[in-house]
Amino acid sequence: MEFPVGLKYTKDHEWIELSSGVAKVGVTAYAIDQLGDIVHVDLPKVGDTFEAGAAFGTIESTKTVSDLYMPVAGKVVEVNKAATDNPESLQTDPYKNGWLVKLEVKGTPSAGALLDASAYEAFVADGSH
Amino acid sequence: MPVSYTTVLQEHKAVREACGVFDVSHMGEVLVTGANAGAFLQYLTINDIEKLKDGSGQYSAMLHDHGGMIDDLIVYRLKSDRFLLCVNASNTAKDFAWIEKQAAKFGGVQVANESSAWSQLAVQGPNSAKAVEVLIGATDLAQFRSLQYMDIMSITLFGKAALVARTGYTGEHGYEIYLPNAVAEKTWLALMETQPATGIQPIGLGARDTLRLEACYLLYGNDMNDEVSPLEAGISWATRLTKGEFIGRNALLAQKEAGPKRSQFAFVMSEDGIARSGMEIYRNGEKIGVVTSGSVLPTVGGAGGMALITRGKASLNDEVEVDVRGKRKLARLVQKPLYKAKVKG
Repeated sequence: MEFPVGLKYTKDHEWIELSSGVAKVGVTAYAIDQLGDIVHVDLPKVGDTFEAGAAFGTIESTKTVSDLYMPVAGKVVEVNKAATDNPESLQTDPYKNGWLVKLEVKGTPSAGALLDASAYEAFVADGSH
Repeated sequence: MPVSYTTVLQEHKAVREACGVFDVSHMGEVLVTGANAGAFLQYLTINDIEKLKDGSGQYSAMLHDHGGMIDDLIVYRLKSDRFLLCVNASNTAKDFAWIEKQAAKFGGVQVANESSAWSQLAVQGPNSAKAVEVLIGATDLAQFRSLQYMDIMSITLFGKAALVARTGYTGEHGYEIYLPNAVAEKTWLALMETQPATGIQPIGLGARDTLRLEACYLLYGNDMNDEVSPLEAGISWATRLTKGEFIGRNALLAQKEAGPKRSQFAFVMSEDGIARSGMEIYRNGEKIGVVTSGSVLPTVGGAGGMALITRGKASLNDEVEVDVRGKRKLARLVQKPLYKAKVKG
C-alpha cells in the first residue's frame, strides 16, 4: 500500500498536499482498501468553509458510509467532479487524480495534528483502529 | 459468512455471468412429518400445499393471527407425509417455537429442528448446473438435469444422504444443496475444483444482498417483519386466500376488504445518491413511506431498492424524494423486479 512522502496524513485517513496557499485533500489508500468498492462520493460546494476536523462530505462503499473530515481549516475553491462522477476511480488512484477538494487554507495548520507518511504508515500498521 | 471474499461488486458480477457458491449453513431447516403433515402446513402457511407434489417446493410464509409475518420460508414436499421447511437463520428459534406450539394443538404431526445438523450451500449463476453436476451420481443425473424451478431431489454426497433443490436468492439459475455437516467441506472443495470450467468462486453476504435486491426478493427484518402482512409486502401471489382456513387468513381478508395500509414498491434513484434501509420517502413535502432495502444496483446500473409506501400517496412511475442523510434526492417508483430473474431458464 502506497503512502506518498510529499503528503501529510490524518488519523481519520485523509491526506493533504499543502502547497503555497491552495491545498488538495483526498482519502488514503488504506481507507479505500478498508471501505471496499467505492460507489458514491458526496462533496461540498465551492465557497463552503470548514474548520479543521469538520465533516465536509461522505464516501460510500457497498459496505458502509463514512464521513470525510477536513485535515485543516479552509475554504473550498474547487471540487473534483471526476471523483464524484467515477467514484470507483478512487480505488486505483486515490492520490494523483483522486483528490476530492482543493482548499484555500485558513491560517497556518498546526504541525502536530498532521502525520508524515512514515508516521501514518506506522499508525495504520498498528491496526488498533 | 463474510461480507465479501474479493469485493461485493466483483462477486455480484461473477454470479450474474458465471457462478458463485454461498455457504448459507446458517439457514434453518425444520422437518415436518406424519399423517397430518400436509394438512398442518396448509393451516400454518399462506401458500397452497395442495399444489405440491413429491419433490416440489413453494415460496410461502407463516403469519400471526393479526396477519403480520412471522417469517417467509420455502416448503418442500419430500413425500406426502414428509416436508422440509427452509427458514431464515435469525428467525429459526422463533419459528420453531411457533411451529411446535401449533403442531401440538393440531395433532398427528411431528416437527424437528434439524438446523444444527445440516449445512447448506447455494450454487448460483449461469454455470451452476455444470458445477453441481460433479456431485451427482450417474444414476441421478437424468433426474438432476430435468429438475424444474423449485423442484427438490435426494442425492448421495460422499456416502451421505443429501438434497438438492433448484432454488436460490439471486435471480439466476441455481441450486441449494442441503447436506450433513460431515460432508460440507468435501462438497465445497469438489465444487471449487470446477473453477476452471465454471468460474465458480465464494460469494459473501454483501453480494447476496445486492443480488437478491435486484431480483426484488424480500429480506426478513428489512422488507417485512412481524407487523407487515404479505399483502403489504408484495407477495399476494403466494397468498392463497381461497384455499381454506389458515393462521392469519381472517386478518388478511379484513385487510383486503379495507385495502392494505401500505404497499411495496421498487424504486430507482433518478439523482445521484444511494438510498439505504430506514431512509424516509417524501412526496409533495409529505412523508409517505420508508426505504426497506436500498443499495447500488450493480447489474441494473445506478441505485435503487424497495420501499413501503402509504396507500394512495403514490403510484407506479411517480417521482418521490428519498431523504439521504438530510438531502432530498429524487427517485422513481418502478415495476418490480428491478432485474428480471432467469431462474426458469
